[in-house]
Amino acid sequence: MSHNDLVYQKKNLPESLKRLGFLLVGIGLALGLTGFLFDAQRALFNYLLSFVFIMSIGVGSLFLITLEYIAGADWSTPLRRIPEFFASSIPLLFLLVIPLLLNIHSIFEWSHKDVVAGDKILTGKSPFLNVPFFVIRTIVIIGIWSLFYYLFVRNSRKQDITKDQLLTKKNIKLSAIFIPVFAITVTLSAIDWMMSLAPHWFSTIFGIYFFAGSFVAALAAITLAVIYLKENGYLHPKMNNEHLFSLGALQFTFINFWAYIAFSQFMLIWYANLPEETVWFLARWGGMWTYISLGLIFVHFLVPYVVLLSQPAKMDPKRLKFISIWILAAHVLDLYWIIMPQVQSAKAGIFTLVFEFGFLIASVGLFLLVFYFNAKKQNLVPVGDPKLEKGLNFRL
Amino acid sequence: MSERKLFGLTALFQTPDEIIHAAAKVHEAGYKKYDVHTPYPVHGMDAAMKLKPSNLGFVTLIFGLFGAAFALLFMYWAMSKDYPMIIGGKPFFALPAFIPITFEVTVLLATLATVIGMLTFYFKFPNNSQPLHDTPYMKAVSSDKYGVCIEANDELFDPEKVRNLFKELNGQNISEVYFPIVETFKIFEPKYLTLLVVVALLTSATTYLTLNKLLYITPFTWLMQQDRVNVQSRSTFYADGFGMRNPVEGTVARGFIPYEYKGLAAPVVPLSNPLMPSSEVLKLGKKRFLTFCSPCHGNYGDGDSRLRGQFPNPPSLHSEKVRGWQDGNIYHVITNGQNIMPSYASQLSRDERWAIIHYIRALQKAKNASPSEIIEAKKETSSNVAQ
Amino acid sequence: MNIDYSQELPVIERRITLAEIDQLIAKPLDEKPDRKFFIALSITLSLLLIGVISVSFLLFFGVGVWGLNQPVGWAFDITNFVFWVGIGHAGTLISAVLYLLRQKWRTGIARFAEAMTIFAVMCAGIFPIFHTGRPWLAGYLTPYPNQHGLWVNFTSPLVWDVFAVSTYFTVSLVFWYVGLIPDFGLLRDRTTSKLKKSIYSIFSLGWRNSHRNWMHYEKAYMLLAGFATPLVLSVHTIVSFDFAVSIIPGWHTTIFPPYFVAGAIFSGFAMVVTVLIFVRKVFDLQHIITLNHLEKMNKIILLTGSMVGYAYAMEFFIAWYSGNPFEQFVFINRAFGPYAWAYWIMVSCNVFIPQLFWFKKIRRTIPAMLVIVIFVNVGMWFERFVITVTSLHRDFLPSSWGYFVPSVFDLGTLVGSFGLFFTLVLLFTKTLPVVAISEIKAVAEGAQPSHNGGNH
Repeated sequence: MSHNDLVYQKKNLPESLKRLGFLLVGIGLALGLTGFLFDAQRALFNYLLSFVFIMSIGVGSLFLITLEYIAGADWSTPLRRIPEFFASSIPLLFLLVIPLLLNIHSIFEWSHKDVVAGDKILTGKSPFLNVPFFVIRTIVIIGIWSLFYYLFVRNSRKQDITKDQLLTKKNIKLSAIFIPVFAITVTLSAIDWMMSLAPHWFSTIFGIYFFAGSFVAALAAITLAVIYLKENGYLHPKMNNEHLFSLGALQFTFINFWAYIAFSQFMLIWYANLPEETVWFLARWGGMWTYISLGLIFVHFLVPYVVLLSQPAKMDPKRLKFISIWILAAHVLDLYWIIMPQVQSAKAGIFTLVFEFGFLIASVGLFLLVFYFNAKKQNLVPVGDPKLEKGLNFRL
Repeated sequence: MSERKLFGLTALFQTPDEIIHAAAKVHEAGYKKYDVHTPYPVHGMDAAMKLKPSNLGFVTLIFGLFGAAFALLFMYWAMSKDYPMIIGGKPFFALPAFIPITFEVTVLLATLATVIGMLTFYFKFPNNSQPLHDTPYMKAVSSDKYGVCIEANDELFDPEKVRNLFKELNGQNISEVYFPIVETFKIFEPKYLTLLVVVALLTSATTYLTLNKLLYITPFTWLMQQDRVNVQSRSTFYADGFGMRNPVEGTVARGFIPYEYKGLAAPVVPLSNPLMPSSEVLKLGKKRFLTFCSPCHGNYGDGDSRLRGQFPNPPSLHSEKVRGWQDGNIYHVITNGQNIMPSYASQLSRDERWAIIHYIRALQKAKNASPSEIIEAKKETSSNVAQ
Repeated sequence: MNIDYSQELPVIERRITLAEIDQLIAKPLDEKPDRKFFIALSITLSLLLIGVISVSFLLFFGVGVWGLNQPVGWAFDITNFVFWVGIGHAGTLISAVLYLLRQKWRTGIARFAEAMTIFAVMCAGIFPIFHTGRPWLAGYLTPYPNQHGLWVNFTSPLVWDVFAVSTYFTVSLVFWYVGLIPDFGLLRDRTTSKLKKSIYSIFSLGWRNSHRNWMHYEKAYMLLAGFATPLVLSVHTIVSFDFAVSIIPGWHTTIFPPYFVAGAIFSGFAMVVTVLIFVRKVFDLQHIITLNHLEKMNKIILLTGSMVGYAYAMEFFIAWYSGNPFEQFVFINRAFGPYAWAYWIMVSCNVFIPQLFWFKKIRRTIPAMLVIVIFVNVGMWFERFVITVTSLHRDFLPSSWGYFVPSVFDLGTLVGSFGLFFTLVLLFTKTLPVVAISEIKAVAEGAQPSHNGGNH
């Protein structure tokens, strides 16, 4: 039973993927931009949602790479290129953030000097919540993420050729440094882009909440990509369903973690019943928002929990494909629930059905393109990684 | 001198590879009642023995779900139905607050059920009299050897065949294991009966002594013997021996307002009526008048008691004297009492007294109105009956 | 020394036969305790005696013997409770979480860590029971049908604690016991003393190393680990809820649950490292509990310590960001008010000192790591103290402000809890195998068959 003759062959991803990617980007942008004609502020917030969606998957993927190095895991080595490709969307954030930075005044209440002047609390926050500092923070944070992405991926790609173990050691050191940097930057991004939409509200756990959701979404995207690629023979032929187990287990774990963080945040604010905190949740209750709030528990926790509970379920490609798509939708629902209530006109209706998800469709197209172009130049398997053999031989 | 019954044949192996191979071969040979013994779980043995995966997980799931349901339903019943209390302004069925306990009970029941189920149902433990115990075979497989045991009651069991199979597989120390000789004894043996009696005596003595004697000794009596003065009993703390004490000099009842004209016969009472003669005040005054004043003074203050013959007849309230009195004087009479009229201070609050006074004034005006003061009155108000 | 990442590190550092493992781990159980043991035991028993005396005074004279009073209604009692529960969490984490993460290096330390969990939870349980004032009525905390027709307040975090800590104790005990069953079987088969044999037989329940049993056993072990993991998170979360559901500034903040859990793991691992440094030396287990183990644990200490630091920063930032003057005052008061001494001990021990573990040399040097982890334990005790006392001693109404000073009985009970913990640890080392014998055999080199695709 020797598998020694099974070797990875680099294959380019099919042209149809590129066409599909461009198509989705085109349709998505068309829908999204048309939405501006109907309700400009709402469309802008939709764009913000998609931006955060892309950011969460990009930075979540970078975190998975970090985790692999710092924990010395080997099951993830054969598929490490996939999170690397997802993380390559991070430098694109520089471009994607421009429409948002140009429209800060339409998004953030605290960016209006007159509003701040008349509000003692907002004045108190203005050393942090002011336009120049916000812009600098955004640029610096995307810059830091891009730097780490570049360093990780450069070492990983160089290793394909040189097979130098020192590059693994370098990446391990980089991971150790990245973890605290990641914690701070992700927290600040969450506060900047989402918490400050409701500038009078605050929650110390918000950064962790965003991290939990992002990591789950990144895992779901990665799992989906891994399964499609494996089934179509783009990954190493020695890979089997057991490699999927850890992805399924991580998804299960972090769904539980997300639920735990979400419940803590909600329950503590509900219990103390202080108006300055409950106002945020009350805005997410009543009318359609009641259904979305309750739906979030069901969609983002109960269903994935039940589907992924058993051990065989965590390895079954069909189930994993289904639940990964489900979890990505749940993450969108989560972001929608956080971001959209801050828009006055956000009620369900034609707008939702037709225009609201335009930019998200474009995001999916964007990721497909990112994959296509990365796969042209890079191997889909890190062939030079010293842990590759061990990883391929991984058995439960 | 009974024949010892053969339980099975055992063989020892030196390496994990050998035992895997042996297990697979034993299974292939068609034996069903056999087992493999190892000091720790050897990977791949499940597959070699073609064992079906454990379904212990279902026990966990069922009991876990049961725990969750039980905890939630119980808290719902206790907090919403049996003894609902508004705590912190939260609803009776405070679901977010019930989640932590639900979770803990789920975990507790799931884990206990798993372990107890595994030990009792799957393993049939405790069982220290299984034939393999205390054999050199067991000592070896606990420590560093691996073993196979094929039981004698397997259909295909034949001592020669089994020995040969073991030899083929390179098994060492092939030995026979016998069922232990089980002692039986009659139930009415003196030693056993004595033991039962002693245990019964000890149990009852302990229970009796604990519940009737021990609990009445310090410190278990601390809650009963408290250094405090009990009501309505003697006290050794106070000199006069009384448990009940009078209130301190100058103690005032809650809501008490002093009336400085109490006891005086006809003082000049400068109090004026603090209430406005609104329709509510007059209604209240009428009601109280009819309740408290009319038994003696009559329904209209004429002095004709409404309870003819039972109650004294006071002078009319429409006399010059009373009409000329200040409100404060009437207030004084009601509060203090006058002649045989007792004080009504304990039956009427101060506001009620003032309301009555307004009503009396209304009655007085009704009986002594000048023509210009009379206005057209509607027919409904000519009724005498107290509303 | 460059590591070869393509090779798996062995769990045991030198080749050791299965029989040698038996001999090594079961030996202390066969031998009579020596002088060093009795000296150590006498020290811990003295500490325990101080605790017993303090608790006796408490029972006889009442809670007034402690320094608690308005406004500081909770001080050493809750601080010690949270401290010990936190220490317990490391054990379950090593046992359960590292098992689920397939980290084989946990094998040498899991048994000891689980034992520490149980002893720590026992020490923790003392405090909620005795702080009630009439501890002999502690049964009132449980929902049993009674003549008053009353139920406990299921919406109160204090009641959640009752359920959480008792579940945690029960499950930890059960998990530990299940791991011990095969070892009891081995000890039963090894021992020559008749008394010991009957005791081991009873506790082994008749375990006979059958693979048909091992199969269910492994499944149960995995299920238990799968439950113990969320359980350990939930227990310290519920403990954090004791504080966070209130409206007191400095207590009511949403980050408390994960922050407390990270802090618990942080302090727990520090205690595990402290104890293991001595255990591996005294019992000659240096090649089973290796420098690699200690280094890995130190990395986890660094990680969780940084998480605690993150939480401090978040609390501080959001206190400013919120614009809530009471919240802002709490943090200024912590750093510069009457308890500033406690605050700065906490910050230096929890945030600054563990950063030394960035350096590999320090991670792998025993004296250095011992000093650091002791500081971590001190720092984490002070963290619970700072959270509890500083928020209470100065909350909304200045006329209610006060200053808590511990009484000698507060300190005596704290000392006694350490005495209890270490006494139990010492007794454990002499009565039960400190390393899970069957587990360590399973990961020794050559223990698993070489077919089956590689390293399994």
